[in-house]
This record gives sequence, C-alpha cells and structure tokens, in this order.
Amino acid sequence: MSYYDKPEQPVRDSRLVIGDSYTGTACGALDCAKSGCMLQQGRRFWQANSCQMALSLMMAATIENAVIVMHSPIGCGSSLFGLTPGVTKGNVKRGKAPKQPIWLSTNLTEIDVISGGEKKLRETILYADREFRPEIILVIATCAPSIIGDDVNDVVKSVGGQTGAIVTAIHCPGFKSRVVASAYDAFYHSLISRVPLEPIDYRDYNPPERADPDYATKIRALAAQKQNTVNIFNATSIGLADEQELTRLLNAIGLNVRIFAEYCSVDELRMMSFAGLNVSLCNVHDDYILKYLQEKFDIPYIICGMPIGFASTKAWLLEIAEFYGLADRARNLIASEETQVSEAIAPFLPKLAGKRVLICGGVVRTSVEAVFLKEIGLDVIAVRAYHYDDGADPVISDLADSLDDTPFAVSNQPFEMVNQLKKLQPDITISHAGTHGFLAKAGFVSVQLWDTDKPFFGYSGIFQLVRRLVFAQRNDSYTKRLAANVAQPYRDNWFERDAYSYITD
Amino acid sequence: MLTLERSIEKTVNCIERPRASCALGGALAAISALPGVVPIIHTALGCGGSLSGAASFGSGYFGSGYCSGFLAPSSGITENNIVFGGNERLSEEISSALELIDAELFIVLTGCMTEIIGDDIHAVAAEYENEAVPVIALNTPSFKKNAYSGYEILLDGIFNKFLPPAAEHDEKLVNIFGLVPAYDPFFRGDLEEIARLLGKLGLKVNTFFTPDQTFENITSAPNAGLNIVFSRTYGVDFAKSFEKRHGTPYWVTDLPIGAEASDRFLRELQVKLNLDARTVERVIAAENRSYYGYFSRLADLFGDGDLKFYSVSVSNSDYAIPVASYLQKELGWVGLHSFVTDTLDELQEREFVRAYENSGLDAELLFETDTSRIAKTLRAKHPENRGQRYFDDITPLFIVGSTLEKVTAQTFGAGNLAVSYPVYNRVITDRGYAAYRGGLHLFEDILSSIVAPR
Repeated sequence: MSYYDKPEQPVRDSRLVIGDSYTGTACGALDCAKSGCMLQQGRRFWQANSCQMALSLMMAATIENAVIVMHSPIGCGSSLFGLTPGVTKGNVKRGKAPKQPIWLSTNLTEIDVISGGEKKLRETILYADREFRPEIILVIATCAPSIIGDDVNDVVKSVGGQTGAIVTAIHCPGFKSRVVASAYDAFYHSLISRVPLEPIDYRDYNPPERADPDYATKIRALAAQKQNTVNIFNATSIGLADEQELTRLLNAIGLNVRIFAEYCSVDELRMMSFAGLNVSLCNVHDDYILKYLQEKFDIPYIICGMPIGFASTKAWLLEIAEFYGLADRARNLIASEETQVSEAIAPFLPKLAGKRVLICGGVVRTSVEAVFLKEIGLDVIAVRAYHYDDGADPVISDLADSLDDTPFAVSNQPFEMVNQLKKLQPDITISHAGTHGFLAKAGFVSVQLWDTDKPFFGYSGIFQLVRRLVFAQRNDSYTKRLAANVAQPYRDNWFERDAYSYITD
Repeated sequence: MLTLERSIEKTVNCIERPRASCALGGALAAISALPGVVPIIHTALGCGGSLSGAASFGSGYFGSGYCSGFLAPSSGITENNIVFGGNERLSEEISSALELIDAELFIVLTGCMTEIIGDDIHAVAAEYENEAVPVIALNTPSFKKNAYSGYEILLDGIFNKFLPPAAEHDEKLVNIFGLVPAYDPFFRGDLEEIARLLGKLGLKVNTFFTPDQTFENITSAPNAGLNIVFSRTYGVDFAKSFEKRHGTPYWVTDLPIGAEASDRFLRELQVKLNLDARTVERVIAAENRSYYGYFSRLADLFGDGDLKFYSVSVSNSDYAIPVASYLQKELGWVGLHSFVTDTLDELQEREFVRAYENSGLDAELLFETDTSRIAKTLRAKHPENRGQRYFDDITPLFIVGSTLEKVTAQTFGAGNLAVSYPVYNRVITDRGYAAYRGGLHLFEDILSSIVAPR
C-alpha cells in the first residue's frame, strides 16, 4: 500500500532523512545525514516554535469557499486571527472576494477527552455544512484527538454522504514531528485523499464528440492544450508577485501556466491533473503531491531548486524548457532578461560589494539565495537553515560547492541566532518572518527572507531583492534605539559560549 | 456565504472563531506582560508559537515581550514523550533555562498533550526548589475553559500559592485585577488610567501587567489594603482565595468608562477605603473640568454631524457593561443589544446577569459566541426593508465590537469600532478606555472612525 492510499500520511521523520539540530558546514551536513548522525541530534534547550498544524492552517486558510473545522481544544485555531488579514489580502489581489476565513472549533472539553470527540466532530461538520454552505470542509486533526484515539478519518468518511461540501482531514498533530515542513505533506494528503483532482466532462471542459467530423483534430488540440499546460505549486511563503513573474516567463516561451493549490477553489483544484508537467518551486514543499500526480495521472514533474538569482532562475527555466524542446527560446529569453536586470542592478551593486551577510530561514531558500548573494559580490558569513531534509540535498550541494567553509547550521532557535549574530556582527541579516521583532530588539537590522507582498523569484525578484538590501542599510536608528532600551532575556555569559553548545549528539 | 435570513439550529457546542484561546494561551499572554516572569511551556514546540500568535496579532498587535513568543522556553515534546512521558525532557529544559535565561521566576505550564499523558510537573519543579531563581508549576489544561481561566490560574499560582501569606498590610496599597492581558486588548491603558486616578487620592497601586511595574510589585501584593477586581467574571474566585490567604478584602466592580461612571466609581471607593471625602470630591471636580474641557469641543462635530446612533455592543463580559453604559449614559445613544461573547459557566452567568440588570441599561443582554449568529440574531430582530415606502429600521446604527464585527457592520451599513478581542484592524499601545481619559479616548476613536473616510 502506498502512502497515498493510507488514511494518514507519514510524517517526514519516517519518510525522509530529516534533522533540526546541526552545526558545521553545508558539506558536513550532507555527510552527517548520510552517516545517520543528523537524525540523532537534538538540543538541551528549546524555545517555542511553530508546528505542522500551524503551517497546515496557513495553507488551509487560503482555500476558497472553505470552512475549517478545528478538531481540537479551544486554543489551537487562535493563530488564524493573525492569518486572516493576509488571506483576505491574498484573495483580493487574485481578484477573489475579500472573504475572511471561517473556522469552527470542536472545543474539546475534559469530558470529550475522556469519552472521545468523534460525535462532536461529526456534529460540527454537519453544522458547518448547513450553516455556511461551503464547498469544502477541511478538518484539522490536532494533538488531543490523536492522543485519545479519535478516528477522524472514519468520521470524515461516514459524514461525507450527508454534506453538500466535500469533507477532508488534514492530519497534523504537532507532537508527531518537530519538522514543521511535514505540514506540506499533511495538506496535500488531505487533497489527495478526498478532493477530486480531475476535470469533469461538460462542466470543466467540453470533450470532443465522436460524431464530430473534426473529432481527431479536436482531440489533438485538447491533448496539446493539456500538454502545454504547466502547473506550478505555490505554498505559504510564495506570493502573487512571484506567481506572476514565473507565469510571465513561462508564457514568454509559449507555455500555459496554472497555479496550485493555495487560493484555489474546489473547481480549480479539479484542473490539477489537466497538465503536461508539474513544477515545484521548492525542494521541500511538494514532492509528496508531485509524485502522486505522476503515479496516478502519469504527469512528469520537475523539482529544481527555487528560482532565486541568475543561476537558479536560469536552471529552473531551462529544465522546463528542455522538457518541452523549447530550450533555444528559453535561452534567448534568459539572455534578454539577464541583460536588462543586470543593467538595472548595476548602480546598486557597489553599495553591496563585500557586505557581510547572515541568512536564516527555510533550507532551500537560504541555500539558493546564499549562492546568489555570493555571485553578486556579497560575503556570506553564515547560513542557518530551519530544518534539514534530504529532498534539499541538491541545493545544499550547490551551497557546499559555492561556500565550502561558510558555517552552516540547522536551527530555528532564536537564542542560537542572536548569539551567532553578536559574534559575527554582519552588515546584513536576512531572516524568516517571525524573527524580525527579536532581531531588532537585539540590535540587528534585518531584511525579509520572504514576504508574500513582494517578489523574490525570477528577474523581478533579483531587482527587488537587491533594491531592498540597499534600502535596509539606510538609517538604522530605529534598531539602535530599540536595542539600547530593551533588555535581552539571556544571561550575559551566554554570549561568551558557543552559539550551538546546546546541540546534543 | 453568510445568509442572514436562515437560522440553523445549533445543537453542538462547537464555537465559531472562538474569541479566546485556551488556558495555556491566556496564561502565556499574561506572563508576557509580567516583569521578570518567564514561562517554560511543557508541550509540543508549536503551542507556544501558535498561542503567542493569538495575542501578538489578535490583540491590537500586542507583540511579544521580554521572553515570550518564539523566545519562550518550551520542552518541545514529541511522540516519544507522549508514549514514555515527558518529565525527563522537562527537567532538562528547566536546567537549561536556569543556566541561560535571566528571570525572577520561572513558571512551568502544561497543555492538552502533557495533561492527557499525566506528566507530574509539580514533582519535576520540586527538584529545583533550592535554586536561586524559583521554579513553580501550574496546570493549564487546554481542554478546560479558556484563556480567561489561564489568567486566573496564573494569578492563583503566583499570589495564592507561591507568595507567602502577608505579614502586615498597607491600607494605602491597592492591587488591580480582572483586566485580562491581551483578551482585554486595552488592559494596559486601562490599568494605567486607574493607577493615575488612585494616585491622585494618595494611593499606591499595583497594576502588575504594565511596563512601569517590577517584580517587587508582585511580591508586595499580599500587603495591599484592597483588591479591586474590574470584572464580574474573571478573578473573583481568585480574590476570595487571596482574602483567605493574605487577609486583603476585595471589591468587584465594573471598569468605569467616562465621567459619569468614574464619578460613581470614585465615590464608592471613598466609602470602601474610608478616604477623605473632600479630597475625593476635589479630584472628581478637577477631572470633570478637564474631561468636559475636551469633550465639549466635540459638541460641534457631534451635533452638526448628527452623530446620535442606535448602538449594539459585542464584547467579552469585562467590557460589556462599561461600554453599553458609556454609550447610553455618556453619549446618549439608544442601546439596542449587548452581546456577550464569552462562554460563562452557570454561576458566572448568573452573577453577570445580576450585575447587568442592576446597571440601568436599556440594551437587551444576549449571550452568543459565534460571529455569524450574532449577525443573524441582529437581522432576525431587525428585518431589512423589503421595498416598503415607509420603514422604521435601525439606522443610524453603530456597532462597538471586535474586528470580526466589521463585516457584520458593513452588512447593516453601520459604523463600527473594534474594542474587544480580537482586534486586528487597530494597533494598541498605551491607549485605554478606563475612567476620564479613557472616556475621551473612546469618544475620540468612535468619532474618528466616522470621519476617517473624509
């Protein structure tokens, strides 16, 4: 039985080689993963972080005409208030209604924890269906029901016949994996398991009639249309500006583009299998669904890093173009785009030459961007990746080739980051969302590693990133004043010790 | 998706977009505002992150404090600990936190998973009783009640368990309780305004959760001569236990908003603490002079702009009476309904209803947790004009609620201002609505929301 037929996806810890605690170099990390030591490592001290449920919610909240049912105690969905403004904005930017995500909590109480929450879940799903008439109900299966043994899948299956909405479950108990990226698989598994991914005749498209004298031509046309359609998979950190830039580039070499799965409706999701090629934007996002689409619908896929910077954008575009025999067209496009953007960034580069950078966040984004920053003349002095998984090996290898003795750590821990920053004192810190507040309080000017409001990918991304790096260096008085007036929670002697001294074997 | 005409019976006690996180979330939000206190969260790593998001982004961008949010120590238990227990991991985390983090007090908190598996956090914390920095443990099971109870559990743990019984009392010292950090989004401004007023009467005030406070405010609390609880529901039982342990009497009252309520509050306080009546009257007179000096300038806008409204308030139980009272008695608006969005137990509800009924409010009191059902109830009570030539509807309408009421207000063509959790279309620092200055702020904010599109 493959993963895809099971009621619940495996967490990444059991599907891939993963890790969350490492210090050394990029090359060393690859060795450590091969020898198995990556799996063994942990920490004697941890600070609160995210979980696979939190990331699952970020994706679930974007699905159109959905109601989210949190099968959990009252608190688990409360981060959705923080996600609401971004989702509403994301909808508006895509020309969709400015709806706020709606969610219901099954509000598990002590009695439910003792006697089981299945009945309550069933009734909540039915209530959600009748009250809000959504197209899809996404049940979020959290820690508590997982520990008490609620059979969420059984409820979802048995209630399905009584609802107007499609009902599916995202299995994402936080305790099951410290690797937050497991959420991508959990989210995609919820689509794979219960959401139709095939277009319906006469609803989504008109199939050619056999009696039609042009039947053969129309069949060929339909097949060509399908073949020339490329699906691109977004997720959480990838915003509309990036989707538009990549669509522009692929359109320019003659391909159609569809974007999945965030900000899709159930109707749009059905078109997922009407494509000639599936393309990833990040090695650790979507291999789970791309492999499924290949297995089930025979659609090949490409996972080729993240199109940030000259080399990666080129490689990403060429890989797709070569699949379609459009490499020459792509090379012309790339040459023209590179010339234009090189001219555009030329005035900025002297202001960045030799600047010392620390970069922190998702493993693929940080690795790819670090290579790019070196390429344009910056001095990358440290890379901190939030997790390791062997899917990212190709980009970590590139990093190892480009920056062979640069410190590389696998860490999402603020105490380690601030310690390292105090010692290295970089000119520029590029970091993940959620860190900029404590970085500023510790006295470090930081630049967003990603922001769904801004472009990062392709040529537009190159220009905007360079522009932002220069912009960030102008006027640091906010950070200086803030840091001078805010106490750090760490004891002074922490900064005399090695930043990664709490990592254990 | 919101069809207002239909009413579906709701027989399951699920909650739409709950306006409070869990007990752990409430305790964490409160700790993040307490000087020198650092939590150690004994759960999976994500609880601390998600729950801090609820307060950080959901309460006027409250953000994170000294060692909260992504900085808070957490045992980060995994599946292995669920099976074999998490005590050892917790113990290691506490030892490391003592090495690394500068604090006056560490508080170990639990969540649903560690409560279900039954980790003995008290035994683990007891191993650290000889440390220079105290470590206490509190059970904050996420499946019992909600964020408000987390605040109460925290208060009880610190003041009624950790702190030794008071040796003496200072009649001039007053502790303020009942305003719940983050879940009362304006708690800091409210506390500071109350402290300012009481200071004018020669009293010293412990507010605990405002940036001016230190750990000494916490340790001095048992000596207080009076505890004021600005809540009919939250902190009342705590204050009773406080009285038993430390001998400090308590007074449960509503947060005064505006001059009318503040005058009453100060006169009652004068009696409670046997203050010099002339001093209190002098303060009241001075405050009113200042208040109406500002308030009266807006009479032109208020009158010429015809800014008298029908009003609906939607809030937690702490703000329900104060806001409805302000709108009716201070602004002279016509109160229609006060929706209380908390889930109260029977006793809390009875107490609250009694207090509401004694407040002389015209607005009908309704309990409803779900945003869509609040909108539906309003529509059911006030149908739309279906083409009648002459139709007495509820315009002009203003809804003082949470950010969730923004959409409801748009549906009704009403004005709106978010004052109750969640508030994510406003940013809040030291703004408050308590007392005289707060009353001016509320006037200012309501009127600003009306003139903002100009």
